[in-house]
Amino acid sequence: MSTHLSPDRILGDLANLWANLGKQGTPETGMGVLRACSMTLVVIAPPSEEFSALQETIKNLMPEHPARTIVVCLRPEAKELSSRINAACWMPFGQRRQICCEQIDITAPEGSLGDVATVIAPIAAADLPLVLWCRCQGVAESSEFERLAKMAEKVVVDSGAWPDPAAAIQRLAELHARGITLGDLSWTHLTRWREMLSQVFENPMYAAHLPEISRVRVRFSATTMRVMARYMGAWLVNALEDAGVRVELTFEPGAKEPGVELSGADFRVELTREQDRMVTTVGQLSNQASLPEYTDCSLLREELSILRPDPTFERALKTATQLAVRRET
Amino acid sequence: MPALFRLAFDRRLPPGFAVIGVSRRPLSDDQFREMMCKAVEEFSEDTKVDPDVWRGFAEGLFYVSGDFNNKQLYQDLGKKLEEVEAARHSGGNVLFYLSIQPSQYATTALGIGSAGLNQGNGWRRLIVEKPFGHDLASARELTDELHKVFDENEVYRIDHYLGKETVQNILAFRFANGIFEPVWNRRYVNHVQITAAESIGVEGRGGYYQEAGALADMIQNHMLQVMATIAMEPSATFRAPSVRDERSKLLRSIRPMTPDEIGANTVPGQYGPARIGGEDEPGFRQEPGVNPDSQTETYAAVTLFVENWRWAGVPFYLRSGKRLPKRVTEIAIQFNPAPLHIFNGDSGDTAPNLLIVRIQPEEGISLKFLSKRPGAGMNLRPVSMDFNYGSSFGERSPSAYETLLLDALIGDATLYTRQDMVEASWAVVEPIENVWHETKHDFPNYPAGTWGPQASDEMLARRGHEWRKP
Repeated sequence: MSTHLSPDRILGDLANLWANLGKQGTPETGMGVLRACSMTLVVIAPPSEEFSALQETIKNLMPEHPARTIVVCLRPEAKELSSRINAACWMPFGQRRQICCEQIDITAPEGSLGDVATVIAPIAAADLPLVLWCRCQGVAESSEFERLAKMAEKVVVDSGAWPDPAAAIQRLAELHARGITLGDLSWTHLTRWREMLSQVFENPMYAAHLPEISRVRVRFSATTMRVMARYMGAWLVNALEDAGVRVELTFEPGAKEPGVELSGADFRVELTREQDRMVTTVGQLSNQASLPEYTDCSLLREELSILRPDPTFERALKTATQLAVRRET
Repeated sequence: MPALFRLAFDRRLPPGFAVIGVSRRPLSDDQFREMMCKAVEEFSEDTKVDPDVWRGFAEGLFYVSGDFNNKQLYQDLGKKLEEVEAARHSGGNVLFYLSIQPSQYATTALGIGSAGLNQGNGWRRLIVEKPFGHDLASARELTDELHKVFDENEVYRIDHYLGKETVQNILAFRFANGIFEPVWNRRYVNHVQITAAESIGVEGRGGYYQEAGALADMIQNHMLQVMATIAMEPSATFRAPSVRDERSKLLRSIRPMTPDEIGANTVPGQYGPARIGGEDEPGFRQEPGVNPDSQTETYAAVTLFVENWRWAGVPFYLRSGKRLPKRVTEIAIQFNPAPLHIFNGDSGDTAPNLLIVRIQPEEGISLKFLSKRPGAGMNLRPVSMDFNYGSSFGERSPSAYETLLLDALIGDATLYTRQDMVEASWAVVEPIENVWHETKHDFPNYPAGTWGPQASDEMLARRGHEWRKP
């Protein structure tokens, strides 16, 4: 049983919050605050969410992607919908005015996502994109989720956290087929890998060996990398297909170091992650580049930078779905 | 009364100012003062009732009881006016404010006239609230009745939207700046959207609302007046006749629709039940006092065209509704896209340039445009330059009623609606109302808490446009 959460009241509280912050100074004296907002970021947090870490992620995102952040905390023990608003401010280096973003925390009983959706629509910032970051696998699989997802310019998930990679990819493909623009942090993880591999074949000498490639091996270690591995495989299959090359793709779970290997008769390219470095090996030559661990913040920062559909990802998702089906059969 | 008290609080009323309350209910002056004190305490949003100010203000409050249909009332009122004039040296100026059933306007005005109260030592003026008739003929009839007692320049038809700071600021924005007027025309403006959304339902006014509907309750008056302010030609001076002439001219330039055009250019709606924010909300037909088969529209959307050189071909989309997602009144002027897209689809957003005038809440103006996101590549994002009344001026904005009452007291009718404007508005709305009344609507056609019927989206989509979500 949940009670009423009024969007008008939340908007009224927000207006009061800014009026009070505005009284802290005037633009002429250089004091006061500047309200910044370039989007609405809705975060759906699971009951198990560690809020201090999530808060830190949001705080670090704000200078680059200032947003009206709406954090929806689904709590099994919550009896009713409730909300709380606050502002997160920071002082840019060398300036005298704080920049502030607003955050609305909504606590909701599990299973009340439909009620939450009716509140989010009116409190989203007008004329600005709405991005939905769903950190809760169970929610993303629910039918109520789609109502929320359809409000968003982009829905970001982390399928790596889902227990069944094939089901995760299948669900994402379903959402995509319904016209929802998706981002998946498992895919975002691959940006550097894709860049490094592409750079190898920018060299015409190596590009000439492309037709020789017949095998692609994707190694991964942690279970959280299973979807990532499929995306990598799917992307490589697509990219090589575009070059007129058909390959045999294999996955090697449980590897000591994650990596990817493209090989043919007399040619081999391998990328391996070794701690915080990426080692690129082409034939006998090898090169190392820095590859620090990704954080939610760094991944999301990248996803928020481009809100339009990513055709490369969408194609990889489609291929990954077929790969998943092929493996199952 | 809260508005009058605030004017007193701000020392904007003369010392001899007095209010005589008139109603059927028998009350003494003191009882009336007590009742008004409670009302001011309850309804003054930002004015604390200062006991000293109240004491002085309350000394000028008087009361007369009686039946508006009985001539004795007007005799009693006349005596009271004489007493007050003698006691408070008010100079004989009298403003009659009819906050009564519209059906009583004519009777009351004639009663005032029969007792000779429309003339005296000072000026005499009459304020009436909307609705000004229920169609063109009744609006004319009402005017004719009022004119038997008061000249048109003594009749003040109040529309509180025009008293709002932001609506007044439209005039300043357009005519005090040189940079906007050159683009304020069909060459640069793609279309205009005016939204007046309420998140609440009829709130116990089901019986009244059932007789009115969104078209007559909002579009015929408030929204057409706002549209006139946005679209009117510059007036030669900022004097009432000049400004009102331009508003009137604009309203008369709106092309009335033929019955054939009405289907494609208007959408009525009525909200159905829905669950919002964790609570089950009733549909309009489930509201107390509402006919379960009611055909009254709680939502109205219309596409209007202004037939003049400035606006020919530019659609003006007006929508108003109850139980929409949020309470907001805004004007959005969407400008044409850049003639050549040198940043193609890979560069991101193609959001249009918008000028948003927010009338309520958080009064202000925003200009939306595209900007390059910092970093590599040419990624575009919509950004906004905002002017907010609340934070830009460190002073309180007067309420619409404070502004309008003070204007009526000083004889400035700029923000009041004139007879010809009322008639021009009805000329636009009446054909639509006639067709809607003859049609059996498939209501409800939008769930409470949504932005209205799908047909409304389709109405815009036919011209390649879409409603903003304010």
